[in-house]
Amino acid sequence: MPARSYTDVSDQQVVVFAQEGREDAYRELIRRYERPVFSLIYRMVRDKETAEDLAQETFIKVLNNIDRYRPEFKFSSWLFKIANNITIDHLRRRQVDTISIEGSPNAITAESARATAVTVTSGGESPLEELESRELGAEIEKAIARLRPEYRACIILRHVEDYSYDEIAEIVKLPLGTVKTYIHRARQELRQYLGDLR
Amino acid sequence: MIEHDFDEEFVPIAAELQRLPYLSPSRDFADRVIARIDRLQPARIAPVTAARHLELHQGGQQAVTPRRQMGVLRATGRATAGVALIAAAAFMFFEIDVLTAILSAAVTQYAFTLAAVGSQVGAVVLGSETIAYLQAGALQAIVLYIALAFGLICGYAGIRTAAHIAKRKAA
Repeated sequence: MPARSYTDVSDQQVVVFAQEGREDAYRELIRRYERPVFSLIYRMVRDKETAEDLAQETFIKVLNNIDRYRPEFKFSSWLFKIANNITIDHLRRRQVDTISIEGSPNAITAESARATAVTVTSGGESPLEELESRELGAEIEKAIARLRPEYRACIILRHVEDYSYDEIAEIVKLPLGTVKTYIHRARQELRQYLGDLR
Repeated sequence: MIEHDFDEEFVPIAAELQRLPYLSPSRDFADRVIARIDRLQPARIAPVTAARHLELHQGGQQAVTPRRQMGVLRATGRATAGVALIAAAAFMFFEIDVLTAILSAAVTQYAFTLAAVGSQVGAVVLGSETIAYLQAGALQAIVLYIALAFGLICGYAGIRTAAHIAKRKAA
């Protein structure tokens, strides 16, 4: 079966092709969402290898059950919901709160830290802007890492992925009021942590 | 862009959050995921559930079909067992003499038909001259057997008559 272009094809249509067993459709879904899913999970667990394992587990679970997808929901919401469930389950088993975007908190040597460092995609800024952006981004990352895992998921879905409160409530399986409370508290804590920078 | 539902102090932080870059997993991430999608993997070798016959399976298809002779032998065995059971039932539910009478009647009824069909088939296969020769030989044999039987009966009757006379004289 020849590979086709999915440039202007919606997620729902790609899913239909995937349900027909087309490998290129599976790869397209991975290509579209591997970075958002990996980023969400990484910002929750703060460890590259663990984040990769959990992201891999997320995609395997979603794609192996692609026939169960209901098109009335956004595919990305379903994907993030499973990613969040898998990550929360992992965090419940093992509490990971240490932050280091430069490498795994479990890395002992400089080499292992470099090996576990994540790749950050540049936005095409000038070197100075990029440096400032990276410094600010690193502070934001540190501040996010200090939040409770439940707050992290909500604030990332709200401010990074632009989901509505209703969609976040559906993804994290919490009441709408609880989600609003979590996001409000997360904003307060972020403002407090980043107060020195402002 | 999400709606502005926070106070002004959080605006710069929200802007920073929106500028957070996506992080990339390893380059072979997609390959590792695809390798574990069940429906994209080639069909696995199906386990042989019925172990009565050893059959080779290759790529989900039978490479060797079951041998037909085994089926014929099994059918023959089953037919023999069935006939034996029917015969046993017949001997149990009918008197043996009745069964013999039934069999004899059947043989008698169909003997001439079988003989006629046999002679016709024989004429086609062996030729009419051969059949005529055999039939002549058969008639001679019948006459010979009748003469022998007549001699035996007469001899037996003569011996019994002589014995009877001798017994009377002795008395």
